[in-house]
Amino acid sequence: MTNSNAKTSRYGQTLLAGLWRENPVFRLLLGMCPTLAVTAAVKPALTMGCCVIFVLLCSNIIVSLMRNLLKPHLRILMFTLTIATFVTIADLFLKAFVPRMSEMLGPYVPLIIVNCIIICRAEACASKNPMLVSVIDALSMGVGFTVTLCFLAGIRELLSTGKIFEAQLMPDAFVPWAAMSMPVGAFITLGLMLGLVNIVAGKKA
Amino acid sequence: MNKIKNFIQQSWLLIVASFCFGLLIAVTNAALSPRIRQNEINKRNRLVSALLPEAKDFILLDEQIEIQSLQGKKNIEIYRAVSEADECVGWSFEAAGSGFADKIRLVVALDKNFEKIAGFDVLSSNETPGFGDQIKYDYYRDQFKGAPAGELKLVTIGERDKIDSEIVVISGATISSEAVVEILNNSITQVKEQMRKKGIIGNDKQ
Repeated sequence: MTNSNAKTSRYGQTLLAGLWRENPVFRLLLGMCPTLAVTAAVKPALTMGCCVIFVLLCSNIIVSLMRNLLKPHLRILMFTLTIATFVTIADLFLKAFVPRMSEMLGPYVPLIIVNCIIICRAEACASKNPMLVSVIDALSMGVGFTVTLCFLAGIRELLSTGKIFEAQLMPDAFVPWAAMSMPVGAFITLGLMLGLVNIVAGKKA
Repeated sequence: MNKIKNFIQQSWLLIVASFCFGLLIAVTNAALSPRIRQNEINKRNRLVSALLPEAKDFILLDEQIEIQSLQGKKNIEIYRAVSEADECVGWSFEAAGSGFADKIRLVVALDKNFEKIAGFDVLSSNETPGFGDQIKYDYYRDQFKGAPAGELKLVTIGERDKIDSEIVVISGATISSEAVVEILNNSITQVKEQMRKKGIIGNDKQ
């Protein structure tokens, strides 16, 4: 009984880790490149997040299945090969089903291959744990990343256009703050959010 | 012998995985490529429709047109734009060439006599954001609407609003604006010449 309880609590902890304690963007500072590049609006951020969840899930499953066969000096090569395969598939799906979004994201979809979150989870979790834990970890990290990205994108889109998902949310008197949709807006929003998260986390500890 | 055995022992997983992943990508690509191709055609038609508003349909020309560029010889697909009354209202084709950072792919539309450019749009490019990628902006593209086909000249100073063979650059040092003019001149001249030779266009036919 205690054994199964410990297992459940471990799954629960893994599931929650990506959302707050080990949030990839705010706590681990991983995947900064897409975080800064695609958060000008919520739609591309959400698409990027879904792609990352898909790639993370598939690569964690494959890496976890072959973890006992991996040669230590060839493991990074195997991780990259696995990740590159699923990123290529995700890219093809975007091009086929949401061509406009694929154009908008441009090179950032292929760049998921070098996104540190995925290779970090393959190395830190999937290559050492059974499949179920790896799947939970992938979902947790992926959802954590997506939620954070959408949150940042929401702030930026709202301040730069006054709208989110084409819905006008700001009063008519609001003057759109164009700088927020530019790179400078990405750095400012991320910096302020990191500071805020640090303050909150510091108080909790 | 031992070396080969050692090599296989170390790398069998990599070889097997590469093969399986390659197969997976090949299958996905084969399944999705018709759809991706169709998306590209739709996008091109959408862009050309904006340049040739009277066009209702685009018919692929059966004749093969081959043009020479720095990248070598290449077959070009020419589309005839037809109006609702089934009359030819213009032509369009894809032209590509080297830009500053990457290949620039353009879609060009011309009037029915191949004498004036109806306009161009960028299908794909990777020019410097905010600088070279101004080739996509209206102020630059509008200079081409109505300009004589194949005789464009690049000038650094001039009026952008005046429609003639002179195209005013984005800036004196921008390779992208020069590349666009070069791609257009090169492709239009060659396509026009071959279409004339084949008797598809020409004063007697119109």
